[in-house]
Amino acid sequence: MDNAIEIRTLSVVFSSNGRPITALDSLNLCVPSGQVFGFIGPNGAGKTTTMHVLLGFIAATAGEARIFNTDVNKSIARQRIGYLPEHPDTYKFLTGRELLVMAGRLFLIRGKQLSDRIDEVLSLVNMQNVSNRKIATYSRGMMQRICLAQALINDPDLVILDEPTGGLDPIGRMEVRRIITDLRARGKTVFFSSHELSEVELVCDHLAILSKGRLIVQGPTSKVVPQGESLEKYFMKAVSNQ
Amino acid sequence: MTRILTIAHTVWLGTIRKKDIYVLLILLGALLLAMVSLDVFGLGGAVRYVKDLGLLTAWFFSWILAVNISARELPTEETNGTVFPLLAKPITRAELIAGKWLGTWSVAVISTMFFYLLIIAVVKYKGGSFEFIPLAQAIILHSSALSVICAIALAFSTRMNHDAATSITYILTGAAFFIVPRVPEFMARETGFAANMLMLIYNLLPHFEVFDMRKRLVHDFGPATWKIFFIVLCYGALISFTFILISWLAYRNKRFSRGNLI
Repeated sequence: MDNAIEIRTLSVVFSSNGRPITALDSLNLCVPSGQVFGFIGPNGAGKTTTMHVLLGFIAATAGEARIFNTDVNKSIARQRIGYLPEHPDTYKFLTGRELLVMAGRLFLIRGKQLSDRIDEVLSLVNMQNVSNRKIATYSRGMMQRICLAQALINDPDLVILDEPTGGLDPIGRMEVRRIITDLRARGKTVFFSSHELSEVELVCDHLAILSKGRLIVQGPTSKVVPQGESLEKYFMKAVSNQ
Repeated sequence: MTRILTIAHTVWLGTIRKKDIYVLLILLGALLLAMVSLDVFGLGGAVRYVKDLGLLTAWFFSWILAVNISARELPTEETNGTVFPLLAKPITRAELIAGKWLGTWSVAVISTMFFYLLIIAVVKYKGGSFEFIPLAQAIILHSSALSVICAIALAFSTRMNHDAATSITYILTGAAFFIVPRVPEFMARETGFAANMLMLIYNLLPHFEVFDMRKRLVHDFGPATWKIFFIVLCYGALISFTFILISWLAYRNKRFSRGNLI
């Protein structure tokens, strides 16, 4: 099986008031293609930093990261990626449809192909009826869904979701779970972080637990979590042992 | 190029929908009409006075618009977090900078065209007119000056927040507008270190006075020679390119993190 993401001895050290802060410490991680991969850890574990390195927002201090075998520092590495940030926000002066047109054009999708794709993603996130409304008028859940739609505009092979259900009501969460499982059914790789451990347990094939910038465990969910134990219980034990 | 145009188009939509241009256009119109109808110093009827005042306000308002919209684009992307989904697309930071510059510059130029149309209408109403070639040259050189201003504001905004980038661009471009043309006078009075410093300032700051054809238009001096006109255009392009390059150099390795470091 090919790997969608390969991270080798990745370290990120920030400087804060002259003091070095290690955000990631020699992280090694492989995300197999076609899987839903849960990336979990307590606050400040380095999950978002890992995602930011993968997306080229920050440069690694040491080590390397590759997406579909392409160095993440090359802009072409992002051609097959869709990304939903932790606190999604977007151009509120645009309508939902205009946002998707903009996102599609950045992937060089045009004409009928673009309009068909827009209709497809709008229906996937169930926002066909409000797509011509200004984003400024959207609720939090609608904002999350339109941002998810723009992340899927290029029909990405790898979708990176940073806390995709954060702040959503139960119906919103269920919608996101449905989209994730739908993506898996279509052979896509989903790499997502979440604090909702029950959710991770429900949808993930693989998971990795990160704490203080270090990888604690990684593998298929069924093998990582001992039988008869919940992920939450296992997670608490694993993290408190660190 | 598609990506640069897409970014520029989004800047356009943002500026048009945030209504900055309309406010300035209405202000310019109101100011012109008030000054003309109030007949300050008994000059309200003089076409030259209307031209002079109109062109001065067009320069002033286009300067405000160019600085404000250019200095806010990148910092706002960061504060709102919209830079994250944007940079997660296969767009290079050079394309982002180029798109932002193109968007802000074209907005400033089109708004300036509207300012000129308003002035032409008022001048015509007062029974005057502009010669076509000097007017076209003036608008093109004015646009070239706006290109430099947008590039300077963008360069500062790569590493500063909106307020800081706006303030420093106003100071720098204001000094270039008002002080640089007078530096040779000061230099004549100084010697040694002070003279050298003045020479340095004179050479480092952009010379906006070369783009300004207001006097030619007000006093009907006719068009500038084409040779000088093209030299000034090339100068504008060179300075703009330099500041866009500085913007890219400052932005290409910029780290983005929101909230806590990890």
